[in-house]
Amino acid sequence: MYFDEVFDVVVIGAGHAGCEAAAAAARLGVQTALVTINLDLIGQMSCNPAIGGIAKGHLVREIDALGGVMGRVIDRTGIQFRLLNRSRGPAVQSPRAQADRSLYRLEMRRTLEGVPNLHLRQGTVVDFIVRNDQIFGVELQDTRRIGAKAVIVATGTFLNGTIHSGMRTYSAGRAGEPASIELAQKLRELGFPVGRLKTGTPPRLDGRTIDWDAFEPQPGDENPVAFSFATEKIEQPQITCYIGYTSEKLHQRIRENLHLSPLYSGKIKGIGPRYCPSIEDKVVKFADKNRHQLFLEPEGHNTNEVYLNGFSTSLPAELQQELVRMIPGLEEVKIIRPGYAIEYDFVDPRQIKPTMETIKIKGLFFAGQINGTTGYEEAACQGLIAGINAALYVQSRPSFQLRRDEAYIGVLIDDLIRDGVDEPYRIFTSRAEARLLLRHDNADRRLMPKGRELGLVGDEDWERFNRRRDRIMRLHRILETTRFKRSSTEYASLSQLLGCDLGDSISLAQLYQRQGVTVDLIYRLLPEPIRSESSIKELESALADIVYKGYIENQKSINERIYHYDELKIPENFDFRKVSGLSMEMIERMERVKPQTFGQLRKINGLTPAAVSTVLVYLTKK
Amino acid sequence: MTTIVALATPLGKSAIAVVRLSGKEALEIAKKLTNGYNFKPRYATLRKIYDPQTAEIIDEAVITYFQAPKSFTGEDIVEISCHGAPMVIRQILDACLYLGARMAEPGEFSLRALMNGKMNLTQVEAIRDLIDAQTLAAARQSIRQMKGEISNRLQPLKDKLLDVIVILESALEFVEDDLPEYQTEEIKASLTEIINDLEKMASTFKAGKLLRNGLRVALVGRPNVGKSSLFNALVGYERAIVTSIAGTTRDSIHESFSIDGIPISLIDTAGLRETQDVVESIGVERTKKALADADLVLVVLDSSEGLRQEDKEILKDVENLCHLVVVNKIDIKKFDLLREIPSSVNGEVKIVEVSAKTGEGLEYLKRAILEPFQQEGLDDKGFLITDARHADLLQRAREELENSLILFEQRASEEVVLVGLHNAMKFLGQITGEVTTEDMLNRIFSTFCIGK
Repeated sequence: MYFDEVFDVVVIGAGHAGCEAAAAAARLGVQTALVTINLDLIGQMSCNPAIGGIAKGHLVREIDALGGVMGRVIDRTGIQFRLLNRSRGPAVQSPRAQADRSLYRLEMRRTLEGVPNLHLRQGTVVDFIVRNDQIFGVELQDTRRIGAKAVIVATGTFLNGTIHSGMRTYSAGRAGEPASIELAQKLRELGFPVGRLKTGTPPRLDGRTIDWDAFEPQPGDENPVAFSFATEKIEQPQITCYIGYTSEKLHQRIRENLHLSPLYSGKIKGIGPRYCPSIEDKVVKFADKNRHQLFLEPEGHNTNEVYLNGFSTSLPAELQQELVRMIPGLEEVKIIRPGYAIEYDFVDPRQIKPTMETIKIKGLFFAGQINGTTGYEEAACQGLIAGINAALYVQSRPSFQLRRDEAYIGVLIDDLIRDGVDEPYRIFTSRAEARLLLRHDNADRRLMPKGRELGLVGDEDWERFNRRRDRIMRLHRILETTRFKRSSTEYASLSQLLGCDLGDSISLAQLYQRQGVTVDLIYRLLPEPIRSESSIKELESALADIVYKGYIENQKSINERIYHYDELKIPENFDFRKVSGLSMEMIERMERVKPQTFGQLRKINGLTPAAVSTVLVYLTKK
Repeated sequence: MTTIVALATPLGKSAIAVVRLSGKEALEIAKKLTNGYNFKPRYATLRKIYDPQTAEIIDEAVITYFQAPKSFTGEDIVEISCHGAPMVIRQILDACLYLGARMAEPGEFSLRALMNGKMNLTQVEAIRDLIDAQTLAAARQSIRQMKGEISNRLQPLKDKLLDVIVILESALEFVEDDLPEYQTEEIKASLTEIINDLEKMASTFKAGKLLRNGLRVALVGRPNVGKSSLFNALVGYERAIVTSIAGTTRDSIHESFSIDGIPISLIDTAGLRETQDVVESIGVERTKKALADADLVLVVLDSSEGLRQEDKEILKDVENLCHLVVVNKIDIKKFDLLREIPSSVNGEVKIVEVSAKTGEGLEYLKRAILEPFQQEGLDDKGFLITDARHADLLQRAREELENSLILFEQRASEEVVLVGLHNAMKFLGQITGEVTTEDMLNRIFSTFCIGK
């Protein structure tokens, strides 16, 4: 076969999945090309300019611990950082940051350009070169052919993308960018099961036409918590966001115009995410709510553009202008870009392996929205795992996977390939059985050794990690062994502070479990030299280990008790049709997932308890 | 799978016994037993049964063929209703085994029904109880569970628990959304209510166990106080539905009868002593053991003779056992024993006056026998847990919820409170099917307006 250029790995698409995939593969030492329709839009944030949030922030920290790029880029371009759930336990706290949209894009490109073995190429991929169910490369619109041992498809919403704006419909990958229609067609021809999903964006406003005083300011944290374990300080000047509300009058106007909504007139067939509903959806489905919350998020330092978060809509542009002006404080506002809904193709993720490689075609990997997910972070972590495994595949090294109790990344991929998706998939902390274990602050301890072993964590990061881990381990010991006896002066003041007796003596670890004891108090009570040597964040992490220990052990023993058959192996090529008494529906559900253990089978959605017991009886009898 | 055979009715003399065959060969075996008769599904046919080896007639029986999958096990089933003579039954079973069937393991019919999707786990467990059920009331209770009564009773509790989980999960998962603040008091009330309901359900297990396993009651008293006539009076009353315990004879020291459908195994300790008095000490040991094993001891006294030293010693022996005093022969009463028994004066022990001869007081005695076991018995709707596994799971779920409630009251962070709530849900899921994350998310998104 003739090729104009040959690489080890080709990544199609330079969104959040594509960037991580290309960076990871290249850093593992294989020649990698990142092919994108427009090199100026690498790392573009198509929707809201923010990274992180509950569970999503966890993903970013895990990506960072494995040597990914997202954390570092947002730390350098974030203009408002907030640690969410500060009042709650450390396991459910998660960082979130507003980004300067254009800075993020530029910083991502700069980062990728600094990665050895990584080659940026502009072009539109229109075909896969496949022989005997194995990938050999891709063909571009301009007829260039690029050879590759592995190809990662990270095409986001571009596959057969259709934008809806009122009753008008047109083909596009994002507003103003062409869709990938031929590539989508090729995927269908290769026999991939393709479905349609939908997502949407709100209008962007001209900041100069907003009456800012009518809104409630929402400042960022005074001491921003960074995403990357490498970041020492957030350098970007920080801005304030604003909170406002819709009104009943506005709701009424939307209801009157529902016939103009492609969602409600039945034009949109794709399924949208329930946790990211359009304003039309909110008004219709929660009719008893007389106002909905909105966020005004400035898009950057050097622009007047403001993102109207919470007002995603596909109503006609001219109506959008009228509607936003009914929001108190936006009476004079001008829309810069109207909101729209977009429908796109995705491929049923039950046909990919835990490595993100397709089962059907050797060397072909899928990552991001093509697998039915939504969100930058969800896309990025898939890109990372696909990039790692594509490189390992090229190098003939063993593949890399994460378990559900090791990382949110493991939960996400396992959910996708096991259950498929009915709507765009978003990560939640409640999806993780091991939620108390998978904290954002211990992502480095969970994953960095794995990243180092793969070859993704550099010496400097690795040494920094080792120092931090050693200090946390020392803190564990000191928290357990530093005790205050009844006779000590600290005891008296502590007992007075807490208003209760503390027993004959109390350790720092025990003290922290008492109501009303803060991390700061423990920090002040730490003996020297550990106090000056460790940061308050390290102490927080050490304390979190202690606080959750009992629960984690209890949960473990219960799971072992209830699920002691989970490790039971289901033979490869096990014929579920042979198990008499299973309905066709049950058989099909099991066959789709191809569970390897009883534990995987038990978790398949939609199985009846009787069907599960039947298979168990069958398996244990043999 | 091989064809299995077993006697489907209890062992022992009866008018009719049912031998059941299940499996691929069932029909073929039935044909061979009947000189090649062609059975129609679901028709009961009277046929002669021949011994396949000698060609001699064994019995004349009503044979019914249930074609797969429309049968109890989902396989081909043949039921042979033959005469109940043990000899006949043994010959028919032997013939089936000779023709290729094998004896069924205990519960194997139910297991096959489970494997063939004819029943779910709860139903199988109920069937097991049905087979073991000794009396009508226990049978009725088993049938209730089969019909999914546990599921029906648990569902509202699981719903309520899911509501609490949804509220707490949403609070920590969707902090940026404009969710209504949850009402701490309402959550406490919900949890308390679920805990109480689970406790109530689980506590019926004691009564449920009673229903299934019955009560062991021992009669004790010095000779000639009328133990035997009392024994006969109690047992004889319901003699028509008495089920003999296998391997015992009519003059046994054990006899079963039932009160309100609860099986009672009555042990006459006199029998122990009188039949085993070659070495008196052995008899004493056996008596002591019988007393210790009993759920309830009836101490029989004679109101025509007054309280003797021997009576006092017996009363002292049973002091620490659950017991009640039966004052017999009140038809010829001469002494007021109630005044003479020290523990009766302060009301520690219940005393019942009867006449085994006339039957006076017998009904009252029966109530008194059940009374100590019925206090926490049936709940208001007559619901009972009869399976130890279910009772255990309910208790564990309750314990998890109690821990969570304590944490919630201490204002612990939601993710910690939720650990116990999810654990409880898992335990309840072991009885009636799991609640998946997807179920929970569905509830969240239909309850709250989430998302920007």
